[in-house]
Amino acid sequence: MMDPIYPWLDPIEVRRLAEGLMKPHREPTIAVEDAGFDQTFVGYATDRPSAPITRPPLPPHQQVAETPAPAPVIAAPEEVASPSIARGPFLDRISRFCDWMRQQFSATGIFILDREGAVIFDESSHGRLHFLARSLALASRRQGASGGNVHVKIGAGATLEVIPVDTAYGCLVLGAVVAEPLSPSHVAAVMDALAQVAAPPN
Amino acid sequence: MISIAVSSQKGGVGKTTLSINLAHAFARAGVKTLLVDADPQGSVGLSLTRQSRLLAGFYDYLADPGIPLERLIVPTRLETFSLVASGQASDYEAGGGGMGAHLARVRAFLRSVAARGFDLCLIDTAAGLFGVTGDVIASSDAIMIPQQAEPLGIRSVPKLLEGLSRLRVMNPRLSVLGVCLTMVQNDLAESTEAAAALRQLLPPEMVFQTQIPRDGLFVRASARGLPIGVLENGAGAQAVFDSLRSEIEAKLEPNAARG
Repeated sequence: MMDPIYPWLDPIEVRRLAEGLMKPHREPTIAVEDAGFDQTFVGYATDRPSAPITRPPLPPHQQVAETPAPAPVIAAPEEVASPSIARGPFLDRISRFCDWMRQQFSATGIFILDREGAVIFDESSHGRLHFLARSLALASRRQGASGGNVHVKIGAGATLEVIPVDTAYGCLVLGAVVAEPLSPSHVAAVMDALAQVAAPPN
Repeated sequence: MISIAVSSQKGGVGKTTLSINLAHAFARAGVKTLLVDADPQGSVGLSLTRQSRLLAGFYDYLADPGIPLERLIVPTRLETFSLVASGQASDYEAGGGGMGAHLARVRAFLRSVAARGFDLCLIDTAAGLFGVTGDVIASSDAIMIPQQAEPLGIRSVPKLLEGLSRLRVMNPRLSVLGVCLTMVQNDLAESTEAAAALRQLLPPEMVFQTQIPRDGLFVRASARGLPIGVLENGAGAQAVFDSLRSEIEAKLEPNAARG
């Protein structure tokens, strides 16, 4: 006969804990319809499957005009092909820019933050990389007047390239995971392309 | 997709055996199943894939945001059954990182698995309810807890429940499927008494009716790198896991309805 287990534990407490665990989770009901935020506030996002986050950048004094305009020609140095960034809605242009990044540099996990650190575009939900990218971009700005690109190795064959780009809407921070750090000429091409993508229509 | 963590407070309770054979039972039933080895010891990989030590796996995904899920998935002969091994990074990740350190990556992993079209992601975790295991539980839809039918194991139950209660604060939607008694020896009084004591201690709905017997077949299956149901004389043991699968499906249905 085995030793009774009850001297080792409190059956009532165990039962209470167990019953608490078996109760299904109920979403809290919110009695107040308007919590005081405006209609754009959608609550704190839960980490559930979601589409890529996209948001147009905040212009300094005006809304981004989304009327189509003639395509600017990007002068790309060296052998890098220019992205086809015909004018169109901002997010379409960003999307084409990301396609170009993937094609030219095999970039993955591309994201773009605005000057406040808010996510404009994110295809990979790399929350920790956003923080890292922003810190790196800020650090690079402090050291030099213009602020160049920074890269950091984040894994075997993976480098996070962080490129701050001055645009008409302030500094945007581009982050992308690439196999090897980009060369200075490639960085220049990327900066130029993103600046044109973010340029307001003429 | 449903993600189920197979976790326990105590080691050596048969988590890996349960995970492999339960995943196989779901896959045989046509459920597109991904079995993930989140135990740094890499037991699933060692059991089912001989080259597992060379495979990139779950811990590499946590360590390297550049690794796509596709590179980790190992198909099996059963079309509906795939694996992700523990991986190369597990050696230095084994004790590293506190709770929450890998939460975002674990959730990204599960999102990728869902996007890949799997119906079920069964995750065999390391023992204990902290570190990466804690993050897996805090990210999963459900948890099931193998519990060895022996007195020492039963005495660890309060600690298990306290740990689970803490994790449920982090993940309120976590559904506790229940405790599954493992290594039950019907010819040993201490084993059957421990099983009975656990059933008396916990609410009936918290203990699976199906019990996993201690069986030499499991050792044989593991040695051959196969789920037990694939062995010539493994039909009886497979029936046990089919029964467990049915119980889980019944438990998940009301949750799905609550949605």
